[in-house]
Amino acid sequence: MKRKVKEWLEDGTVDLFLGYRMNCGHPLPHCFTKEEIDDVEHLLVSRTRYSLEKIATHLAKRDPELKIGLLARDCNQRAINVLTIWHQLDKDKIFALNVNCCPSPIKPQADCSYMSGEQTSSYKVQVGIDNLMDIEKADDFSDQEKNVRWMYEFQKCLKCYGCRNICPVCFCAECTLEHKDLIGPGRLPPQIPIFHLVRAAHMAGRCIDCGLCEDACPMDIPLRLLYRKVGEIVKNVFDYNTGESSEQSPLSLLGEKVSLSLKPM
Amino acid sequence: MKCTFVPSICSYCGTGCGVLFETIDGKLISTIPMKSHPVSGGKLCIKGWNLHEHINSPMRLKKPLVKTFGRFINTSWDEAIQITADRFKDIIEKYGPDSIGVLVSAKMSNEENYLAQKLARAVFGTNNVDHCARL
Repeated sequence: MKRKVKEWLEDGTVDLFLGYRMNCGHPLPHCFTKEEIDDVEHLLVSRTRYSLEKIATHLAKRDPELKIGLLARDCNQRAINVLTIWHQLDKDKIFALNVNCCPSPIKPQADCSYMSGEQTSSYKVQVGIDNLMDIEKADDFSDQEKNVRWMYEFQKCLKCYGCRNICPVCFCAECTLEHKDLIGPGRLPPQIPIFHLVRAAHMAGRCIDCGLCEDACPMDIPLRLLYRKVGEIVKNVFDYNTGESSEQSPLSLLGEKVSLSLKPM
Repeated sequence: MKCTFVPSICSYCGTGCGVLFETIDGKLISTIPMKSHPVSGGKLCIKGWNLHEHINSPMRLKKPLVKTFGRFINTSWDEAIQITADRFKDIIEKYGPDSIGVLVSAKMSNEENYLAQKLARAVFGTNNVDHCARL
């Protein structure tokens, strides 16, 4: 891996490479360059995940010609796919070095901060939504119970905007969640459930199920499960697999051509 | 193009959440929660998330201003400190040292807070020292 990164930097395949290294005792993102090529020896794959592709979009915004390499787990790779589809990254200028990913039934040996998930507390399991629940189980509650349980989760919201800020595929210049007529400013908790459902609706065709939002949520709201459900609807209705399809999302209504084609029955 | 990541501690309150500043070409671009930090574990509140915004804010004061005849006027640091010292002296002479209070801040370092209380106790002669986290 280190050899490959050195090769890329030396032969100019990439201008800089985003990876991780130990810094002050923490595995933190680091930008490797040709000038400091010996640093590549410190490159590491850590259990902590940062949205390197979001940093890449910041770099690309400043210099669209920049060729960026980055370490990519499966979730990073899906985010890169979505960002290229939405023209935030240039497919020809982004070079992903794929590394091992979340432990799951498919991949038992992996490095990832998410999947090891702690056990949910018994009170939350009783009155709220267990973050580790799967979609089918969460759907099994009656409508009334679903409402009560989800509202319990939403009312905890601190309105920190962490879920949006950390999201690798949230890049809009103007955000609905900051629009004063749509989401009233200066009120806590935010208007629920509209705040969370607006974000959930905007995640349709964009969310790549990386789980960073849930990781960043100080109140432990099961956001990943919510957006997973949204992603499932997009898949069932439009036959669009977010992060894996290379076509534009069916829900992009901007531009000259609108293609809201449903999944063939 | 140079992109660096600087680990730091959120300066808003006494909790001490770990943050990571992302800079591009020396300009602060964004604040990222530090995932492996033992205090915050990769979570931040809205203040921490927006740490970078007040650094780049055009509203930020970069020079000392002195209020003269109801208007703020640019001045040098030496003059500003001299004026402040003179006014403090006047007040202490007229109303006694306990008429002055010092408010320190969570946004300052431990050492700066120490110096502020030293100034209050040893120079002004008052025990009126309080902290913004109690306001």
